[in-house]
Amino acid sequence: MPDVIAVEHLAKSYRKGAIITEVLKDVSFTVHAGEFVAIMGASGSGKSTLLNLLGFLDRPDRGTYRFEGADLTGADDATLSTVRNQRIGFVFQQFHLLERTSALDNVMLPLLYAEADVADGAARARRALALVGLEPRADHEPGELSGGEQQRVAIARALINDPVLILADEPTGSLDAKSGAGVLELLRSLADSGRAIILVTHDRVVAERADRILVIADGRIASGGPVSTKP
Amino acid sequence: MSRSNRITRDAIASLRANRSRTILMMLGPAAGVALLAATIVSTQGTRNQVMSLIAKHGLDMLMVRAGGEVQVFAPRADRGLSVLFEEDALAIEREIPGVQMMSPVQNQRGIEVVARDRSVVTRAFGVNADWVTIRRWSMVEGEFVSDDDIAGASRVVMLGAKVARELFPDGGAIGQTVRVNNDPYVVKGLFIEMGASAGGDDWDDRIVVPFTTSSRRLLNRPSLEQIVIRVANASRMAETAERVRALLRVRHQIGPGEADDFFVREPEDVESAATETSSTLWALLLAVSLIGLAGGGFATANLMMAGVSQRTQEIGIRRATGAREADINRQFLTESLLVSLGGGVIGVAAGVAAALGLAALGLARAQLTWVPFVAALAASVVIGVAVGIRAARSAARLDPAAAVRVRSA
Repeated sequence: MPDVIAVEHLAKSYRKGAIITEVLKDVSFTVHAGEFVAIMGASGSGKSTLLNLLGFLDRPDRGTYRFEGADLTGADDATLSTVRNQRIGFVFQQFHLLERTSALDNVMLPLLYAEADVADGAARARRALALVGLEPRADHEPGELSGGEQQRVAIARALINDPVLILADEPTGSLDAKSGAGVLELLRSLADSGRAIILVTHDRVVAERADRILVIADGRIASGGPVSTKP
Repeated sequence: MSRSNRITRDAIASLRANRSRTILMMLGPAAGVALLAATIVSTQGTRNQVMSLIAKHGLDMLMVRAGGEVQVFAPRADRGLSVLFEEDALAIEREIPGVQMMSPVQNQRGIEVVARDRSVVTRAFGVNADWVTIRRWSMVEGEFVSDDDIAGASRVVMLGAKVARELFPDGGAIGQTVRVNNDPYVVKGLFIEMGASAGGDDWDDRIVVPFTTSSRRLLNRPSLEQIVIRVANASRMAETAERVRALLRVRHQIGPGEADDFFVREPEDVESAATETSSTLWALLLAVSLIGLAGGGFATANLMMAGVSQRTQEIGIRRATGAREADINRQFLTESLLVSLGGGVIGVAAGVAAALGLAALGLARAQLTWVPFVAALAASVVIGVAVGIRAARSAARLDPAAAVRVRSA
């Protein structure tokens, strides 16, 4: 399986007034297609920071990031936005759906920022909703859906452009056990269909659904490391 | 559909999905534009009215008024000046070429006119036969002062439309006897309805008697308030005015360096005074409107900026799903422009309706042209862009990683 992600010596710090906090000091690892990786760590260990770097929502201070073989470390906003749009899907703990916007339109949001017009956008969005079992609720707005349903809409949105990588930040954190299990099942099946999945969680039970667990501590990968335990 | 068209459509959808926020943001530009549109409609109406009054009351007339100060419009009260006399009028007619017609004019307020059990207090004019032609007035019924009336100082009277209506509500005034300051006069003619002059005088609230009747009987004094002159060639108006002035200075024995004790008013004075009045009004109202627009824009700008911070998570979602900085910028600028244009449409409709409403109630004048619509469009675009640029820039520059961390509002 080819590497989707290959990061080497990633570092990121934040400045708050005169205080500089080095969140990530030296992070290196790879993730290949079809792999389901969980990132764990204590609160404030830099899990979400790492996820933002991997999703090109933020830029590292040092290190290199090769995405599908291309070094995108210094790429411009337009290039990174296109990668986010075409190759990456995000799933957030708080679902992050647009309010007063139907499930269908939420799923279609990434098509808005596609380079070219997507002629069968609505049909594609309905297929994505069908994949997460929500096609009958396509016209419902987020306020009319349960938490589990909203998260499944968010997953359908992440899938609409058929990405190679799905980044999920505590995707079950706001869900009850049954809905959470459903979402994990869905992520598992997406990995099995060849996508790389990176899930950030503080919940060991959730992490154990992954193929590999990377634990971050003191700004570094403390265990798991660059070598995959389950290829 | 291009990417930018898709984003424009999405901006419209976003405005529609958040109706109350959109309407709230429209109120600022709407109020400012309403003020501007109402100002334009009513100022144009006023200017138009003044210009038509000037045209109605003649642009080929010179008027000499008693008193040396600038008197474009008639004095508001009787002043009892004793500086202008019939001999001055006759000298002008006799000595100045190009004077086609002339009439001495006496007038006085507070004249009581009684017809049977009805009475009015009005303003009386004593004039000669040419006055009605010089002033472009005419009779709706009966006749005006004749040369015979002047020669015989006849006790005949012509009534303005309002006076006639009040004294003879059922008509039949011609030939009736009325008492003017207790003396009997026969009603000889009724004037057509004239309305107000450019200076605001009510032409329908007056009576006219022959000049000789006025000077020997009714007012019983030799002094005049005015001399009105029709000039044969309007293009030589200024030259004729200067000659009149020179002649009167000699007749009134005014030495070099001394001020005139009369004022020669040319049609241009009326026009420029009226234009100046409406220009001053226009400038004042325009300033108020611009302050209103700025205030409206400021309110919308604050709402837009508040909107950016309320919509931080939404911006984060859009960035995460592939929006570039430029896309976010375009979306917010488009929303701002659409809100402002929407506010402009509401504002111009409300402003024009208010101005027309005030005009219908008789409280203002209104003239509807394309100007308020173009001005509203321009003002809306300016507000939309000015307000939108800042909000759009700050939205586009939000750190996407920080934006997605924000929890739902």
